[in-house]
Amino acid sequence: MKRYVVVWVVLLGIVALEVILTLLRLPTGVLLAELLLLAVIEAALALLYFMHLRYERRSFAWSVILAVVITIVLMDHFWFDAFRLLHQRLTP
Amino acid sequence: MVEHTLASEPSPFGAGVTSRKLGVWMFIVADAATFAAMLVASGYLRIANPDWTRPFELWPSIVNGIVMTVVLLTSSLTMIGAVLAAQAGRRAVALRWLVATMGLGVLFAALHLREWVGMIGEGWRLSRNPLGGTPLVGATFFSVTGLHLLHVVSGVVVIGVIAVGYRRARFDPGHVETTGLYWHFVDLVWMFVFPLIYLLNVR
Repeated sequence: MKRYVVVWVVLLGIVALEVILTLLRLPTGVLLAELLLLAVIEAALALLYFMHLRYERRSFAWSVILAVVITIVLMDHFWFDAFRLLHQRLTP
Repeated sequence: MVEHTLASEPSPFGAGVTSRKLGVWMFIVADAATFAAMLVASGYLRIANPDWTRPFELWPSIVNGIVMTVVLLTSSLTMIGAVLAAQAGRRAVALRWLVATMGLGVLFAALHLREWVGMIGEGWRLSRNPLGGTPLVGATFFSVTGLHLLHVVSGVVVIGVIAVGYRRARFDPGHVETTGLYWHFVDLVWMFVFPLIYLLNVR
């Protein structure tokens, strides 16, 4: 149980860091990149320890992770259209 | 046969991937894609709308969000306690951890609903923005957090059903473990919802 308490404390620390970064009033793009990186680290800790994926077969663990990663990568095609709409609306 | 895992020590959890555990993982993968689609849609709408408004002040919204995050993370810890106790055959201890997890889940839902009521009182709706910008701010906020809240409430109900069945020895430690996987996933989703929906929308 001690190991999981340590993970919990680290996760709380990451949340505190996220809030501090928000209060620094960074540019939105920079803040987004930093928050996403921290969220991915949090998710990795939750997957490996709380969901104990580190104790499952490697082939199973990678199958699960890759399925989600590939889905998210495929969704990234839509950002170009969002920026197209933005420029369309900003152009008089 | 030697099982190659990412950990160097033997597993304290159930060995191998049972059909039940595989089923829950398949659900988690599909649900992760659903939440990813919701968050990508939210980002898309935010970029495409130059009149996007940021609804949240540090007090009370972000402070409330921090408390909700701590409550949900703590509920993952109590769930781990339940799974480990169940695997060790300590039924009474596992049940106490399950009840604690349910209590924290209910507290999270109550804090979330209190926030919703406050925002609705300010005039926020799925199709209305009291700050004057695009109404899509409210639509994305209530959709994403509503779907997550539905998962939390469902999780509390499922944990209750599993706890009753486990107490009567109708369910085994494997049921507690797979329920734990779902509950941790709900926590994992919040790790993205809190920064992307709340922190990126601070005024």
